[in-house]
This record gives sequence, structure tokens and C-alpha cells, in this order.
Amino acid sequence: MKKCLLILVALSLILMFNACGKKAAKVAPVQEPVVEKVEEPTTQVERPVLSEEEIYQQKSLEELNKDQILKRINFDFDKYTVREDMKAILQANANWLLKFASVEVLIEGHCDERGTIEYNIALGEKRAEAAKNYLVSLGMKAAKIKIISYGKNKPLVQGEDEDSYFQNRRAEFVITKK
Amino acid sequence: MKLRQIVLFLFVCLLSWQLRGQEEITIRIKEGMPMIPVAMPEFQFSETAAQKSEINSTIYETIWKDLEFSRIFKMVPREHYSYIPRFNPNAINFKDWASIQANILISGQLEITADERIIFSFKVYEVASARFIFGRNFGGKKDLSRLIAHRAADEMLKHFGEKPLFTSKIVYISETGSDKDVYIMDYDGFRPTRITFSSAIDMLPSWSADNEKILYTSYRNLNPDLFMFDIYSGKTELLSSGGSNYAADWSPVAEQIAYTSSKNGNAEIYLKNMKSGQEKRLTFNPAIDTSPNWSPNGREIAFTSQRNGTPQIYIMDAEGSNIRRITTEGSYHDSAAWSPDGMRLAFVSRIENRFDIYVFNLKSNEISKLTENSGRNENPSWSPDGRHLVFSSNRSGKYQLYLVDYDGRNVRQITAGGENKMPKWQKSPKSAK
Repeated sequence: MKKCLLILVALSLILMFNACGKKAAKVAPVQEPVVEKVEEPTTQVERPVLSEEEIYQQKSLEELNKDQILKRINFDFDKYTVREDMKAILQANANWLLKFASVEVLIEGHCDERGTIEYNIALGEKRAEAAKNYLVSLGMKAAKIKIISYGKNKPLVQGEDEDSYFQNRRAEFVITKK
Repeated sequence: MKLRQIVLFLFVCLLSWQLRGQEEITIRIKEGMPMIPVAMPEFQFSETAAQKSEINSTIYETIWKDLEFSRIFKMVPREHYSYIPRFNPNAINFKDWASIQANILISGQLEITADERIIFSFKVYEVASARFIFGRNFGGKKDLSRLIAHRAADEMLKHFGEKPLFTSKIVYISETGSDKDVYIMDYDGFRPTRITFSSAIDMLPSWSADNEKILYTSYRNLNPDLFMFDIYSGKTELLSSGGSNYAADWSPVAEQIAYTSSKNGNAEIYLKNMKSGQEKRLTFNPAIDTSPNWSPNGREIAFTSQRNGTPQIYIMDAEGSNIRRITTEGSYHDSAAWSPDGMRLAFVSRIENRFDIYVFNLKSNEISKLTENSGRNENPSWSPDGRHLVFSSNRSGKYQLYLVDYDGRNVRQITAGGENKMPKWQKSPKSAK
């Protein structure tokens, strides 16, 4: 034990002398590099908000219809009366149509698949007619509106659930002339 | 046009001679008669080449299936033939065939010539009296093997006082992808032929009384218009446009059609004289009136009307008067189809979202149900002899066409691939009445 202690003390002394004997290396003070603030160039081009008029002027019939400028409405099962919660959509459609008075529109009536092919042609037609009559009651000229029924021949979605059925029971508004 | 060529082919190539020197016997089928047991041993067939024996088995199987389908004949099972000595057409032992309960024996012989034409001859015997009843020879190109078989089976019907059935056709709509077109096919689902080729939706085809024209509705002019296609001339004619025009049915007795049109703002039933083109409006109710269907005597029209709130089946006179309601229960009925004997109305009823086909007996007022717990079943149409119906059903997942007997038995799928709907069986031929 005494021997180990002696060795340790000797080692420490040697180390101390080594440390003291060295000269401190010259260390340049670390300087913070000047960071140039790089600003991210704004890639977002400011999209000009097109007015309704500009949209109307610039877009083709196809684009207007694809963008659903005039929104579709849905109906209750077996019914063709306009639902209360659809009237706002019809009002919006009417507003647009009255603004661009030269526009002609075709209203398509559709059904879900829970009816016969023949009867659904008639039911789809009644739906298109109900939508037309409502638009006329809001001031639209009847001559500008044509109707057609597809019955259950052109479902919007495939599916055997209530939501799919609801989506298929609809009137679509197709602009046919600007 | 391919269809016309096929039709011309049939007339040019298909011959039928009477066997000479034999008196022919006709036996009448009576209502309630038990089915007649028929035995048909293998045909005498000389060639053994694989393709040709295929023709042999096609003709044999087609005749077998036709006769079995008829509900008039019952084929004695082939297994029973092994109980008796092998059939020898030149030395028929009628006692053998009586012992396995055959009433009628068919002996067939098939020859395929070097230039690949079929000559098929068959002789029919009454077993009990060991008498020859009748025989026929048929000739035609080898691709007409099914038609030859159907013609032979029709001859059996003819000799039992029945009208031809096995050469009858069904018109229907086939949907592949977004194409919905008119097709016709043999009653058993074979040899489909496409009729319309537009990219627009076609729907609700039906036959003229002489089965030579097809009425149908097409959206090809961006409106549901009624068209007529003449099978023999290949010409298509626009019959009615303005509003929706559809569900046409040709009168069995006069050159006129009944159809649905909303040309005056509401779905109503109209008559159109096919000679003069003159129209007559039959219904005047603000409700939906649609799906007209003539009675076989041409004096009445069954139709669907919503005048009491929900779609129900009604019958009116051909003049539009004497309207009376047929369906009393349920809230949705459509697609009435009058049976060829005038006694029954088939139609579709929707009950709690199930669509099933019902048959209403106009004499007894009894209703029977033809389909049960098997998907949605629509558009029933009677066979010309009134013993069968064709209808569409989505029981397999997609809509396909099915045959069923008048009592709901023997349901049989006859189409596959794509979706197939709105079938109409050809009408009862007037001449053979």
C-alpha cells in the first residue's frame, strides 16, 4: 500500500512538472463568422383574385362547368320537390345566371338506382323541372333553361350506401351558352 | 353490315326438305299434360376429326337443352340408355326404349361434307306404337350448327302443335365500359350481335309485332329520342324527339306503337300510327304516366301511373278510357308485361328496397312471386309461348340476364361479361296463330 501511494505521488509530480514546463499554445480567438442573412425569395406569386366577370370572360364553357360555377342540388328519396337546404344553392346559381343574362343552361335530372329504369326517367325529369321552376321563380327567363333526364343511367358515384344514393339524386346545371 | 350478311346467309344456306313418302302425325299439347319423355341416343356421325365432333356435340347438346327447357318434353337421362342394347337406327327395338320409359325417340344423323357443310337429318318415332312421326333434313355452313339445332328442336314443337321458340331472339342493352348499346342474341344467350354503335347512351329496346324492327331510345342527339331500326334494311329512323321519348311497345294487331313522351311537359302515353305518323295522346293526368304494354288482343294497354301518389299498375282501353287500377298493395310498381295468353301480368315491385318480379293472374286475381332474396330484379319479358320469362338481375354483383319458367322454376343465367339489362323477348309470330 505504501508503495502504491509513493508511485502515485511520483507520477503526479512528474505530470505537474510536465504541465508547468510547457508553454501555452497560441490559440487564435474564435471569431463568429459573419453570417449573411439569406432571405428566402418568395416563390409565391401573388395570385390576383379574379372577379366573377373575369372568370366568366376568361374561362371556356367546359372550364366553367368543370369548376362547377353552378352547383348541383340533391333531392330526397322518391321526391322531386326542392329541399329547404338546397334553396340557398339555387339562389346563388340564380344570382350568377341573372348577372350573366346571356347564359343558357341545361338542367340534368338524375336518380339513385333504387327505382326502375323507365320510372326514373320520369322522376329525373320532374327533378330537373322543379329546379327550373324555382330558378324561374327567382327571375330567370324560362326560355334560357332546358331540361333533360338521365334517370339512373349516369350515376355520379357507385355505391350501395345512403351517401352514394344521396349524391346520385341530383340536378346538375350545365352551361350550354355564354 | 355484318348482321345483314348473317341474315342473308341464313336464307341462302339453310335448306329444309320434307322426307318423302311418309305420313306425318301431329300431336297436340294440352294444358296440364305431363311432360313427354324423349330419348335421343348419340347421333350417327361419320367423321372423327376433333373440330367436326365439336359440331356434332354442339348440335346434340343444343337440341337436348332446348327440349329440356321447353317444359313440354323431358329428356330421358343418358345414363338410362346403358340399361338397353346400343341404338341401331336401321333396326330399332322399340321395346327397349319403352322399357326405359321413353315415349318419343329421336334418331339423328350428321354428315360434314368435304367443303365443310353440315347435313343433319333426324327422324322422330313414337315408341308405344313403333311408328315414324316425322323427319327433317337440314343443311348449312358449319358455323350455323346452333341455328340448325334450334330449327330441329322447333320442328319438334311444331309437330306437337306449338309455335317455334328455340329460334327466337332477345333484344337487350349491353354495357361495356361507358358504352351502352343495343344487342340481339339467341334466346339461350349465344351469338350476340351488336345493333347500335354510337357513343351515346341507348336504352329500352323493344320489337315490332313482326320482329323485323327494333324500337329504342338514344341520347345520340343529346336528348332521349325514340328511334326505329329495321333489321333487314339496316336503316334507322327517328320517330319522336322533344321531351323524353321512351318505353315504346308495338301493338300486336295494328301498325301502331304506344310509348311514353314528355313532349307536352309531363310524362304521358301516346299512340303513333306507323303508317301515317299521326299521334294520339292517351293520358291527360298531371302525374307520371309511363311504361305502356299492349294486351295480346291489342284492345287494352297496361301502364304505370303515379296519379294516386305512388307508381301503380293500371289498365286502360286502347282509346284511353276505362282506366282501372290493378295493384292494390305496395308503394312502387312498374314495367308491366302482358303474357301472350292474355291471362297474366308480370311486373316489378319494390318492397323495402328489394325489387322482385310478380305475376298477377287477371282471372283469379292471384299474385305469385317469381324472384326472392336475390338482388334487384327488373324488366320482365315473356317468351312467345308464355311459359318463360327473361329478366335482368344484379344478384351476381353486376346486372345480367336470366331466364325463368312461368312458375319461378329453372332460373338460368344467359349473359356474362359487362352488364346486360332491359331484355325483350321477340313477340309471338302472328302467322302461326
